[in-house]
Amino acid sequence: MGELVIETKDLNKKYRGRYAVRNLNLEIGRGEIYGFLGPNGAGKTTTIRMLLGLIRPTMGSIQIFGKDLRKEKLNILRKVGSLVEYPSNYGHLTAVQNLEAVRRILDVPKSRIDEVLSIVSLTKDAKRPVKGYSLGMKQRLGIATALLGNPELLILDEPTNGLDPEGIHEIRELIRSMPQQHGITVLVSSHLLSEVEQMAGTVGIIREGELVFQDTISNLQQQASGGFRLVVSEPVEALQLIRGQGYAGQLEDGGLKLDQLSDPEVALLVKRLVDHNHAIYRVEEKRRTLEDIFMQVIEQGGLS
Amino acid sequence: MMVGKALSSDFLKIRRKGIWFLVFLGSVGLLAMQALNFGLRYDYMIDQYKADLWKGLIGEIFSFVPIALYLGATLISSQIANVEHQNNSWKQLLALPISRASVFTAKVLLGFIAMGVACLILSAGTVVLGILLKFGTDDIPYLTILKLSFLPYLGALPMLALQLWLSLTLKNQALPITLGITAAIASMFAANYPEFIPLSWPFLSFISEAKPALPVGAGIILAFVVYMVGMGHFRGKDVN
Repeated sequence: MGELVIETKDLNKKYRGRYAVRNLNLEIGRGEIYGFLGPNGAGKTTTIRMLLGLIRPTMGSIQIFGKDLRKEKLNILRKVGSLVEYPSNYGHLTAVQNLEAVRRILDVPKSRIDEVLSIVSLTKDAKRPVKGYSLGMKQRLGIATALLGNPELLILDEPTNGLDPEGIHEIRELIRSMPQQHGITVLVSSHLLSEVEQMAGTVGIIREGELVFQDTISNLQQQASGGFRLVVSEPVEALQLIRGQGYAGQLEDGGLKLDQLSDPEVALLVKRLVDHNHAIYRVEEKRRTLEDIFMQVIEQGGLS
Repeated sequence: MMVGKALSSDFLKIRRKGIWFLVFLGSVGLLAMQALNFGLRYDYMIDQYKADLWKGLIGEIFSFVPIALYLGATLISSQIANVEHQNNSWKQLLALPISRASVFTAKVLLGFIAMGVACLILSAGTVVLGILLKFGTDDIPYLTILKLSFLPYLGALPMLALQLWLSLTLKNQALPITLGITAAIASMFAANYPEFIPLSWPFLSFISEAKPALPVGAGIILAFVVYMVGMGHFRGKDVN
């Protein structure tokens, strides 16, 4: 994974006796797009607010760029761009004025305003008051604002929430281009796996304040195998043979249902069946969608 | 300076938010009342104040200065805070590389400057009104006219600091506004209050010419204390 950009250790946030975030250990490597997943109310936004120094952890520590957030907050925030939940632009100002208001604090050159407007394709509408914008445009302006200070880390909380499919697509493409084109590490939260799996390399899944899964998307996908289904000429006899080999299985709709198997195990089983003169009609892998796994993780608090 | 950056950003953000309109309305409103007061019964008023016409005008204006200061402090503070509250932009602003102390101080300075501009308009407008009322230009009491708006302003500073603190930390502005309006009305009876009550300071700072230093000094000190306490609260607050 290389150098860690964000590392939290046993992060906790308690509101009135109830833990919103509990013992959270996030690890986000440089140049990654990290998908931070969980149902609404699981603690995503609370975590992100802690990462940005907006709220104080009850316990635990946050290291960003290897520095302690409590001690070097301003130095860290100088290299972080953020978009937290729904847009927070100044509706009565134009896009340019919105960016200028932030630019005066960040102290970056004025030319940067035009650059970020063009990155999010808002140049054409830059001189209109933002209150007349669509939600998608407001979100894009939010991302432009986040990019204004040339951040090394972008923290986006539900950036596609409430957008139409076209808006979702635009934002997704924008996020996907960040690591390659701008060398930016991205933390993006969402309650929809389908949205994150198309851009993230690593995912963390949070449930009731606790991180229940943190690994690469491809490892998550590998867990997606839900076993095999065999359709053979004499299922009852074949099942006995399979059980004789030490594998679990059962009859199901005229076929055989087997647990998850490795490739050599599948090959061996098929060979045995053929040796015993079974005709094999089908060998199917039952793949669960990532959405199914996501639901399983969320409901059970882990992968079985 | 971080405060300077935040303040420059704030000046941009309050465009078209009605703050400068309030500043103008408050100060010119007071003058317009006296223009009517003197204009409608000119001969009577001139007769009443013939000993010192300028002093008469200043006294008439002053009777409404404390209430105007309290109302102004309340409304301007609320408007300044609403720029962030209404747009849900605290989280964006406070995730920028700027200390919360600077953000808070910039907004307090903005309120301080806006009220100061209102006082300046009132002073300048008083001179203009006096001249229009044909009081002559020979012995305009410039210093007294400056004191007319700025001494009560210093006496009212604790209320401005309190209003900014409450408005900036509470999303619901009903409490600060109710408090401010109540204080404004109560300030009309300031002459009856003992002088250790802060509500009497805007009044006493101009009227008790013998020792205006007491209410003015107390106003500045109390305002600073309220500002420090408010900033401490703002710095430690969770931003949701």
